[in-house]
Amino acid sequence: MNAPGSRPSDRSRWPGEIGAALAVASFQLGRMVSRQRLLLAGLGVIFPAAVMLAVRRTAALGLDRDLAVAMIYALVPEAVCMLGLLVTMCPAVADELERGTWIHLAVRPGGRRALLVGTYLAAVIWTSTVAILAAALAVFVAGVSKPVPLVGMLGALVLLSSVGRAALFALPAVILPKRALVASVGVALVVEYLAGFIPAVVNQATVSLRLRSLLVSWMSWRRQLPIEIQLLIDPQPAWVQISAIFALAAVLLVVAVKILEYRQFPPSTEI
Amino acid sequence: MIETVDLVKHYRASDGSVVRAVDGVSLTVAPGEMVGLLGANGAGKTTTLRVLATLLKPTSGTARVGGCDVLADPLGARRHLGYLSATTGVPDRLSAREIMRSYGRLHGLEERHLTRRIDDLVRVLGLVDFADRPTGRLSSGQRQRVSLARALVHDPPAIVLDEPTNALDVVGARDLLHLLDGLRGEGRAILLSTHRLHEIEHRCDRFVIIHGGRVVAAGTPAEIVGPHGSLEAAFFAAIEPASVESGASGTPA
Repeated sequence: MNAPGSRPSDRSRWPGEIGAALAVASFQLGRMVSRQRLLLAGLGVIFPAAVMLAVRRTAALGLDRDLAVAMIYALVPEAVCMLGLLVTMCPAVADELERGTWIHLAVRPGGRRALLVGTYLAAVIWTSTVAILAAALAVFVAGVSKPVPLVGMLGALVLLSSVGRAALFALPAVILPKRALVASVGVALVVEYLAGFIPAVVNQATVSLRLRSLLVSWMSWRRQLPIEIQLLIDPQPAWVQISAIFALAAVLLVVAVKILEYRQFPPSTEI
Repeated sequence: MIETVDLVKHYRASDGSVVRAVDGVSLTVAPGEMVGLLGANGAGKTTTLRVLATLLKPTSGTARVGGCDVLADPLGARRHLGYLSATTGVPDRLSAREIMRSYGRLHGLEERHLTRRIDDLVRVLGLVDFADRPTGRLSSGQRQRVSLARALVHDPPAIVLDEPTNALDVVGARDLLHLLDGLRGEGRAILLSTHRLHEIEHRCDRFVIIHGGRVVAAGTPAEIVGPHGSLEAAFFAAIEPASVESGASGTPA
């Protein structure tokens, strides 16, 4: 064996940190490829299509395109993404504490940061993949006209939903690791679906407002909407909505990383 | 290489009372030295080791690893430290090589250097026969070797081990301790906590006995064991008067 004492100066810092986060992401994605997770993902892909099939059968004159899009939006970028991220992002720290791997990660120089950022990347990749497949299948089953651009638009909304909400769920994951799932459901209900629908400054910091506004903008629905519904939509252009989601995600992730770097878990926290 | 000076770590218990898990512990471990940290359950061993590993922040006092203060420069301390605990925490589905590669990347090791380092560890730690097998199929002893390999992947000059032989049988424990002898021979500083006094009686260069969060005895084997005949007798002699005098109560280790 070599003499001890490799020094940090041997290594470049930023590529190292990116490499560490990618190593965690690849490790977490590998962990997700299990029978149970694949089954769950399969259900996530099939469920919106099953709902659309049921609705299509009840509609004697065929499904209205706008109604189909609104339903698929509620089912996929909202429901499937939320559920997928709850399963993949919330246990970011709790899983490590339970498996006894937390201490081994936390004693590495960038271990805590890499754990959170890597798990975030894995959660976004996994959830987006499942949700994009779900959206494509649902659009196909709904039998709407011009399906390809629709899948492209829903895919973009899925990506943005995953990017924003995975960062939102990172906070409960680091603050209340053992209750992260419950706390995240609370955050989703209170922040995304209560504050998000209050037509005031508070909804500017929600992902749901940005996604709704993008959907309305990309579907050119704005003029058709009743005035009271328009209050729930932000009139800014699409690039502002997209930038807002990325900015919100960056702020939330930085805060979560800072909290995790200062967290101390007494030995009794581990199982 | 490893040093604590008047290290204090207090917790606030759920009932609001303050638990003094570590209460002024000072110790040093020089390069090429193996020091045994001994104490009953709740004496403060694990808390001391976790402060050194930057997992917990000291309430007061200082802790340094490789000259880096754990509060002022935690990243520096982590770069110099290899940490091993009784719970191996190795992912069942990954092989030893995959685990070492993942953790090596966490240290930002360059891929070619990392591959050489992994090959080196596989050979030296005797992992050749099972390095590519998922660790879920390995024995406790083999898993602990994999955990040791993970702790050493970045070639740390200081190693902290928290009851590393707890889950091992006699053969596994002997093999692990032989490996530690080799690591000390390479000049690494090793701080080891254990309840199995017989395993380390003739192995450590010095002992530090803590009780109720305080150091109650410290010295070379000759100084500690000499008057009592065995390490176990010396250990009881050190902690029993302390129990009577301080009325120290157990705190979570």
